[in-house]
Formats: sequence, C-alpha cells, structure tokens
Amino acid sequence: MLEIQDLHVAIDKKEILKGINLTIPDHEVHALFGPNGCGKSVFISTIMGYPEFKITGGKIYFNQKCINDLSIDERVKLGIGAMEQRPPTVRGVKLGTLAEMILQMKGETLQGISEISKRYEMDRFFDREINDGFSGGEIKKSEMFLLMIANPSFVILDEPDSGVDPEQLKTIGNMINQSLHITELPGERCKTGDRSSSIIATHSAAILDYVQTDKAHVMIDGQIKCSGNSLLLMNQIRGYGYDYCVKCQQSIDNNEKK
Amino acid sequence: MKKSDASHMDRLPVDFSKYKVLNKSDNRPDPFSTLSQDDYDSLKQVGLDMKRPPDMGRFLLFDHNPFFTISQTEGVEILPLPDAMNRYPWMMEKYYFKAIDRNMDEFTRQVAEGENQGYFIRVKKNVRLNHPIHTGFLIHTPQGLQNVHNIVVIEEGAHLHLITGCVSGKHNQEGLHIAVSENYVASNAKFINTMIHNWGPDFVVRPRAATIVAENATFVSNYYSVSPPKNIESIPYTHLEGNHSSAKYMTVLASMPNSYCDIGGTVLMSGENTSAELVARAVNYGGTVLQTGLLIGAAKGSRGHVDCSGLMLSDGGVIEAVPGLRATHPDARMSHEAAIGKIDMGEVNYLQSKGLSEMQAIALIIRGFLNIGVEVEGLDTELEQMIQQISELSGHGE
Repeated sequence: MLEIQDLHVAIDKKEILKGINLTIPDHEVHALFGPNGCGKSVFISTIMGYPEFKITGGKIYFNQKCINDLSIDERVKLGIGAMEQRPPTVRGVKLGTLAEMILQMKGETLQGISEISKRYEMDRFFDREINDGFSGGEIKKSEMFLLMIANPSFVILDEPDSGVDPEQLKTIGNMINQSLHITELPGERCKTGDRSSSIIATHSAAILDYVQTDKAHVMIDGQIKCSGNSLLLMNQIRGYGYDYCVKCQQSIDNNEKK
Repeated sequence: MKKSDASHMDRLPVDFSKYKVLNKSDNRPDPFSTLSQDDYDSLKQVGLDMKRPPDMGRFLLFDHNPFFTISQTEGVEILPLPDAMNRYPWMMEKYYFKAIDRNMDEFTRQVAEGENQGYFIRVKKNVRLNHPIHTGFLIHTPQGLQNVHNIVVIEEGAHLHLITGCVSGKHNQEGLHIAVSENYVASNAKFINTMIHNWGPDFVVRPRAATIVAENATFVSNYYSVSPPKNIESIPYTHLEGNHSSAKYMTVLASMPNSYCDIGGTVLMSGENTSAELVARAVNYGGTVLQTGLLIGAAKGSRGHVDCSGLMLSDGGVIEAVPGLRATHPDARMSHEAAIGKIDMGEVNYLQSKGLSEMQAIALIIRGFLNIGVEVEGLDTELEQMIQQISELSGHGE
C-alpha cells in the first residue's frame, strides 16, 4: 500500500529525513516510535504532501503510484487520511460545516452519520469553530471524527496520545479501531480483509494499550534505525527509554564499521 | 509608497459637470411590470425581487423616477419624499435636514439644492413589522447623477427592517450616486437598516447618513458590498441621544483593483448607559480600503467596541484600519481591535488534508472570516450568495 524509498527531506535547506525506507502493506497497522525531534512529524507531513517539507531525494509510492508531486488533496482523493498532532484553529469555520463538506464529497450527509457523532458526542461541537478552545483530548476526538467520516484506506496518525488524559485515551483508541475497521471479535487478527492500513507515530506509545499493531519502527535522527515486533520494541522503550535505542544502534553501527 | 500616502492620494475630487442630471419623466413606464431582464437581475442581486409580491411594501428609484407600492399594512407609509413633504408640511420643521447639516459638504449641498428624489418611510407607534420593507436605487442611464434624499421615521415602540439595494444597470459602467439618509428612531423602537451595494466599476458613490436614536431604542446597520464602485466614501453618523439606546454596525466588503472604499461609521453616545459596536470585515483583491470607526463616549455608562479586520488576498492594494475611540466622559468605557493579514496557509493545507481543494479551502476560510454572525431576515439567500461570491473571487484572476 505505502512504500517509501530512500526518502530525504529538508526544511530551509536543513536535512531532516536522511534516507527513510519503509513499506506498509495492505491491511497492516504499523507504529512509528522515536524521541522528540527525531523527524516523525516531518515524515508524516511529507507523506501528506505539506509543501514546506521539500523532498530532496527518494520516492513515496501509494498503491504503486509515485505521489511525490501530488498536492495534499490529491493524496486524500487517493485514499490517504491524516490526524494531525497540532491542527490549526480555523476561525469562523464551524466543525459541522467542514464535516458536511467532507460528507458531500462522498454523497453523504451529517444525518447519515449521526450514530458516530452521537456515540462520540461530537454533535455538540458542530457549531463551534474548528479547534477553537478545544482541549487536547477534544482536538484528538475531532480529528478522529473527521477521519472516520472521510473513511480513508490509509490512515496516518500523528501522536494520537499526546495531551490526552487516560479516560479520553480509551475513547481515542476506540475511534482509531473503528476508523481502521478493527473489530473486537474473536479471531479478528486473522481476518484482515476489511482493515485499513495505518501508521501511528507515537512518542509515548500509550495509545498502543488500546490499538494493536502489526509491526513497529524506531526513528532516530531522521532514519529508521530499528524495525520489529511492536510489543517487544514498546516494552524496551518503556523500560529503558530511547537512550537504550540510541546506544543499541550506536553499537550496531560501530560493529558494522569494524 | 506608504499605505497612508496611498489611501489619501486616492481621495477623489468629484466633477459634477461630468454627469447627466437625471430628472423625473412623467411618462416613464412602470418598472414593476416592464422592467428589462437585465435590470431585474441587477436589482435581484441586491435583494429587490420585483417579481415577488411585496410583503410589507416596496420602493424603487429608477434613475430619477420613483415607483412604490402602497403598503397594505396599517401604520406603515411608503412615499416618494417630495410627495411626503407636500402631504406633511410639518416634516420640513421636524425631519428635513435635521439629522444632517445641509452644508456639511458639497454632496449634502447638491442634494439640498438640486432636484432630489427618495423615499419617506414611516412606521407608526407600536407597529412591529414581521417582514422587511425592500427598497432599491438603480442608475440605468450611463453617466447619470442620482440625487437622493431619504427619511425614515420609526415611531415609539415600532420595529422596521429596511433592506435597500443600490445598483447600476448591467451595462452601465459610470455614474454618480449621492444620497442623504436621515433616520429617526423613537424611544423603544428598533430599526435594522441593511444596505447592499453593487456598482459599475467607474461609479462614484457618496452616501451621507445620520441616525438619531432615542431612549431604549436600537439601531442596527448592515452594509454589504460585492462589487465596489471606483470610489465610495461613507461614514454614517449615529447619535445615541436617549439613555439605554444602542447601535451596531456590521460592514462586509470586497475590494477590487482600482476601487477606493472608505467605509466606516461614527457613533456619538451622549445618552447614559448607551452601547455601540462597530464590526468591519474587508477582503482585498487589490483596491484600497479604509476601515474607519469612531466611538465617542460622552455620557455616564457609555460602552463601545470597534473591531476592524482585513484579509489581503492580492500583492497590490491597501487596507488601512483606523479604529478610533474618544472619551469625553470619565465613565465611558470603550475598546478596539484591528487585524490585517494574509490567509494562513497552514489553515489552507489543513483543510486540504481533509479533502478540500486549495480553492475550496481558501473560499471556506474567507466565508468564515466574513461570517460576523449577522442573520438578515428576508435576505438569507441573497446574502448567502453574496458571501459565496466574495469568497469565490479568490479563484479568479490569478
């Protein structure tokens, strides 16, 4: 579904991503770990096509199509959807208006998704300006709600657990699972047919208590330094911190040099 | 060039001899039944649908020919001003050039001294209209000079929403519209005055308006302009004379290259516990906009706020926001805010990430910027279309 080949990205001529290689197949959910400032958000924003992030090398393929030169909305039309870590406040524009516009593009209406909006208590935000005065948890819920109604086939989540209290985190987890079409039925892990693909960037890994992932990657200093079992990597990071990953990687690098 | 230099350079001396003085002709066909499709469309754009039966009454000044419907509602009068002056001689003493000094400037003098036309609308004591009265001013003749004098009297406890559309004929590029409007809002009355302008690119427009507001009365002024004239200066004046009276101005306009719009408002609060709010929004596509608002707190408990904001959507053009406060009483309390800037591309990118195209995102942000919470009864569709038009202008020309 998503294939990144030797991706280099710079901001104001400073290289931030230094040769990322990553593949996320259909129906797989991957976690992206990394300490603050390692380049996770730049990576996420580059996949989405934000123009301030200049690709200086490499390719991004989505369903075998190179999307390097596509605009943000063209990528959305292909089936990519994102939840931003810090979305802007859009003054004067009501959340309900944006939701209606997203639904209109799919030939649907707000009324048609009333079950979702009621379940997650989003209808009370419809008359509020987008993200204006929302708490951290409310911003995440609003972003997840917009993703759920857009229903993309590839879901990008940037720090869905940052600034969210434990109670709300469970709700966010439920929303993510619903948006990825992950059900809690026994044996679901074996039946991946309806599931969306996703990459979940998380610094704390807290959201992984609620969302199961197939694989995880650790990004350090603009490169994927380690990939493997999500649970194993998460436990290592929770137990020893990212310092452990850095040291581990340094020793591997040193051994390779020898 | 400094912005202030640009704005003052654009002040335009008006050469009256350039324009044809429009006179009333006795055999003009009634436009209520014979209006051309072009003129009908022009008027409809500014809220006056001549094919729809009027709810509360209607007035149209076509060049210099007044046409009006007799209001079927008891307690409501709509007359051409000259007819009203003949019928009610006391108007001269009570209302005619009593809110505005006839010698205020060359334009008020032009109205006072030349043949003028306009409406007299009176809503009698405690009559509260459920629907708006629609009026329109159309300059059909090229280079015509329309010389207008309007008087509105809202008697004690009465309510009126007046919607006035000012427009040039579809193919008329040039003309001069001068209008003196005097409004008298008696105690406990409410007057909502919605004005919509849509002019040809070489028009010069000089409205001079004043409103006297008595005790416990409310005055609301909404102004919308989609297609600005070459040059307009309009600084309506409101005097909150009565205690506990209030005024609110909402101004929304789009500015185009080679246009100059000086639109503002002055409110004098001389009654005790009066309140005023001036809100202005300008979207600049390359013209010059001056947003001037002045509140004068001259009595105990007077409260006011001025809010001027502009969006610059072009590399050319000027927006100058001049929110002004003047206190002449120690208990007056007023505040102001002004903000001018470009569209935040972070917001555009964000909306694109939800699937909107760049143009859809920009239009939505502009709509949000222009959304100042005004709901104009009887004009929902037209206003919606107008705001849509302003917001979609960004998709053209670049």
